[in-house]
Parts: sequence; structure tokens; C-alpha cells
Amino acid sequence: MAEGVKNILVVDDDLTNRLILCSLLKASGYKCIEAENGKEAVQAVEGNDIDIVLLDVMMPVMDGYEAAKIIKQSSSRFVPIIFLTAMTDEAALVKCIDSGGDDFLTKPYNHALLNSKINSLLRIAELYKNIEDQNKDITEKNFQVEQEMIVTMKLFKKVVNNDLRGEKTGLNYSMSPMSMFNGDLILAEKNQTSGLEILIADFTGHGLSAAIGALPVSDVFHSMTQKGFSFADTLVEANLKLMELLPTNMFMAGALVSVDRSNNVLSVVNAGLPDLYLLRNGSIVHTFKSKNIPFGISKFSAAQIEFEMQILEYGDRLIAATDGLMEANNPQGEMFGINRLLNVFKESTQEENLLGKILKECNGFCDGAEQTDDITLLEFCHLENVKYETDEVTQVEYKEPSDWSLQFNFDIKSLRQFDVLPYIMNAVNQLQPIESGCTTVKTVLTEMFSNALDHGILKLDSSMKNSPQGYMEFYQEKQKRLESMTDGHIQVSINHELNAEGGGTLTMHLMDSGEGYNFKDINTEKNKYSGRGMRLISSLCSDVRIMGKGNSIMAVYSWSKDDL
Amino acid sequence: MSISINVAADKKSATIKIIGRFDFSLHNDFRKAYKDVTLSSGEYVVDLSSTEYLDSSALGMLLLLKEHADAQACKIRLTGFSDEIKEILTIASFDKIFIVG
Repeated sequence: MAEGVKNILVVDDDLTNRLILCSLLKASGYKCIEAENGKEAVQAVEGNDIDIVLLDVMMPVMDGYEAAKIIKQSSSRFVPIIFLTAMTDEAALVKCIDSGGDDFLTKPYNHALLNSKINSLLRIAELYKNIEDQNKDITEKNFQVEQEMIVTMKLFKKVVNNDLRGEKTGLNYSMSPMSMFNGDLILAEKNQTSGLEILIADFTGHGLSAAIGALPVSDVFHSMTQKGFSFADTLVEANLKLMELLPTNMFMAGALVSVDRSNNVLSVVNAGLPDLYLLRNGSIVHTFKSKNIPFGISKFSAAQIEFEMQILEYGDRLIAATDGLMEANNPQGEMFGINRLLNVFKESTQEENLLGKILKECNGFCDGAEQTDDITLLEFCHLENVKYETDEVTQVEYKEPSDWSLQFNFDIKSLRQFDVLPYIMNAVNQLQPIESGCTTVKTVLTEMFSNALDHGILKLDSSMKNSPQGYMEFYQEKQKRLESMTDGHIQVSINHELNAEGGGTLTMHLMDSGEGYNFKDINTEKNKYSGRGMRLISSLCSDVRIMGKGNSIMAVYSWSKDDL
Repeated sequence: MSISINVAADKKSATIKIIGRFDFSLHNDFRKAYKDVTLSSGEYVVDLSSTEYLDSSALGMLLLLKEHADAQACKIRLTGFSDEIKEILTIASFDKIFIVG
């Protein structure tokens, strides 16, 4: 059928009536289909592309009222019905409309009136069709959005999934189900000190656009932390990735929390998040304010990151939240705000589940008011006995041992600019996977390296580390000396030889440009915060020698195939 | 909610004033306000004295304006803000990338 020619169904049991109507309609350019009764009419509408129905009332088999009802109920689209009737009493006309008719025309027909009624109803049908098409479009689009949401949800679940949360680990957090679509993110990974690195972040933007940023951040965070990079290096890298990926107006506000379990020190980098609180026995010991530009806005170096350190005592709690908590509003439009949060702190006891209490207070305050932002809240409790297990299983594949040697030289500039150890470890791991995660070799090299740098080159006094407070001063002094030092270098030589047991012997040799130190003194120091480095190396290695003027150290570690 | 822009006759400064809530609903208007403005040198002033509220998408819009200003070697100054807005700007450390005050 040509586009634009409308099909009109003429329903009348009287042949003469049908003939008259059809000739009128054909003259006006319509195509006619005929039916003798209501039943035929219903069938015709089902089987043909009928645009309008002209329906007689009184007919055998099925009358017009009944037919109109069925047509209106069964048709998914709008099929206009005009009743043709000789009746003029009001009740009959009302019944026409009630049974589904859209208009009526009384016999005898006026040609002009019939045409104008048909035209008017066809226009309405056209409107209906447009709306229907739009609805279909919207339904399809909604379906697409839903599919995207499911994909995003899956991506995000992968990203944020880790087993570090729980009562035993002290890490607990709450993310409302839709907060993923508001771009909230929590990541945690075990660090080199058997402590944790935690990232809590909030992307501007929603849904997929926020997920786009979360993926690389998660990647960088997990892989660099596993490899032993410092949080500063990790953040520099994550920031670069975000700058590459995110459009100008999007960024990630976030805080990195680093828990050093060797020294019981907490370091926090806050870049655009609300204050983080460190609580001890229910009172605030420290407030970590945002001191950095959020990520993904401008480039920065590791040295430019502003962070704060605090000594941790067992039982200390850190509370962090994205701005959804502070901005949660009640039906009166008031915000939850800092003061209410501080009150919860005041009223809480050490044993309480603080996270649950904050959420409960906030929910009570909101009293069911619709929230514009979702609430992401994190609590970290520093526990005495805890072992973090990541779901990451490092399977070491046996690699036929071979003979090789590596030598690295680092001048003061490279020592200042980046953490060189992860690069060395990476090289060793690639050449010869020795044990799961190379933990022992990593520990030995880390201790040797920090001895060479801290004491050999930077001449820091390790007795500074005798007290927790001293440890932080030690760290600050180290940064200061690293910045101002103009000379110095460290040479690292690593040699691997295969041995008879199908394993190998790794000889690690470090030499620094310092004046050396009296290792005997250090060895005899019996305190918690220093001297343990040397003891650790000796306990892990088969042979340890300090050579030269005390600026050179060699350690030998042997492994067999069974160690894998 | 509305945005107006006033470019100085010497083309050395342009002032964008935001009245009401500065949030995502102003995205297009804010962009439109400055996109055809080219300053010979000088600064873009964002007048926040009549701004009630500013959210993170507004911070994003300011970063877009910064991109526009950077291309013309111009600075951006944020002025007239309330204490609440100042708090938001401080948390985001925007005082490090914009002239504030």
C-alpha cells in the first residue's frame, strides 16, 4: 500500500449503505474494506492495517457496541472508531462513546462532515502513533541504560572486591548500593609492613564515566602497592593516569591511608575529601584536613604530596567519609554536618561499632528524606593481632635456575626522585622467581638499602627511632636531608648462581658512598626501633659480611626447588 | 539562577557573576558565557557574591574555565564567596590553582 493512503473499514449489514459510504470515501482518496457485521469487523481489524473504523450499531451476529469494545481492548495501537447511527436519542449516543467509540455520525451522512471527522481522528491517531514511537524509543534507551548499569556494577564489583574487610582486620566500610554510580570507591591492599594501604575516593560524575576512572586507579593502586612502591609513587602514577583519561571537568577527590605496622605509624594524604579523624578512647587525636588538589587535575611529584603522620596505638580508629555523609539532609533541608558527627564520636564507647552508630544516627536524622548523594563511610581500627590476607594468590612457577648478575647505580638525584627498590625487586623476580612474592629477598634488600641510605649517606642517627615520636622526626629529617643533599650514591650488585639442589644462591652486595659506620654498636643495640634491621638480615641469610669501612655489606641467600 | 558576563572595554578582564545555585544545571550557560571571550591579557573574575551553593560539578566547570583562560595566558580570580563556599574551595585546595579573594 502506498504511503499516505488510509485504509477505512466500513461496517454495515446493509449493502446499499456500504456502497454509498465506500463511493464517498473512495472519492476522497481512501481505500475501503468492507465488513457485514461486528464479528467480521473485529477480524478485519486484526488482519489488516486499518486506520479508521466506521461502525454501524444495529447488526446481526455482533452489534457495533460489542465490536467496538473488542477492537479497543485487543488493539495495541489506537484505532479510531466512528459510529454510524440513525438514532438520535442521547442515551444511545452516550452508549456509543462509552463502548469505545471516538465519535459518531448520524444518518443520513453529510459528505463534508464525514470527511472532516475522519481527518480529525486521523490527526489524533497520528499523535498517538508519535507518542507510541517515542515511548518505544524511551523503553529501548532505558533498557540500554539498565544494561550499562549492570556492566558498570560488574566492573565496579571487580574493582572494589577484596577480602580485607572484616572484624578481624579492623577494616570496615559501608557503601550504599547506588554509591558506585556516584563514583565512590574504596580500595585496600596489604603493604610492605604487613599493614594496609587504603584508598577512599569520590569521582565527580556518575555511572560509567566514574567507572572509567576507577578502573585504572584500582589497577595502579593494587599493582604498585603489591610491588612495594610507596603510597606517594602510587598516587603520582594514579594521578597521571587520571589526567590522561578524565575530561577537564572531572576529577577524583580522595584520601590515601597508609598503615605502617612495623613502626605503628599512620600516614594520610587527603586530597579533596572531608576531614578524616583519628580517634583514641573516644576523643579525636588528630584531624586530617585536605591539603592537596584532588587527583586528575594537575601534575605533581611525590615530593609535592602533603601528608601527615601520626603514631598509632592499638585500638585507635580512623574514620573517613565522602561528602555524602556531611551533606545528608533531613526533610527540613538541614545537613547532617560535622557537629552531629563529632557528637557521635563523643557519645561512643571504645567497644562500640562506631561505623554502625554513625550510619544509624545519620539515618535517624534523614528520617527518610531523599538523598542527593550516597554515603560512603570507612572505619579502620588498628588491632594488635592481625594478619591481612589478600585474595591475590602468588603462585610461583619454577624457572630453571641460571647464572646471572645485575648491577644498579643510583646517584642522589635518583634516590631523591623515586623509590628504587621496587625496580630492583621487579628485575630479580623476572629473572628468577625464588619464593612466593620474593618476601625474604625483599625484606633483606629493603633492610640493606635503608641502612645504606639512612645511615650511610644521610647520616641519620638510628637512635632517633627509639621512641614513636622520634620515628616521625627521623622520617621528617630524612626527607629534609634527601632534599638538600648534593652528593652520594648507592651501588647494588646482585649475583645468582645455580646450586646442586636445583635451586640457587643469591648474593646481594650493597655499597654506599658514606663514611661507613660501626656496625658492632648497632648490632648490640637492644631496642625496639633500631638495630633490628641487621639482626633481621642475619637471621634470614646464610652469610652476612660487613666490609670496607662499614659502607659495604654482602648477604647470601640460598634457595632450593622445595622452597617454591 | 543566572549567569552574566561583563568584559572590560580594554579587554583585560572579564567578570562572570553567578546568581543562585552553581551546579550542574548551569553547565551549558556557564560555558556559553565565556566561550567567545578572548582577553588580550589579564584575568577572568568569577564573582561568587550572589552564589548560594557550589557543588563538585561547579568545581569541574571552573576547571573548564581555567583551561580556556590558560590558553590565553590569563589568570582566574574567585571573589565574594561565603564561608560555606570557601570551605568547599579549601577542601579541594582550589586556592592552589586559582587566585582566591
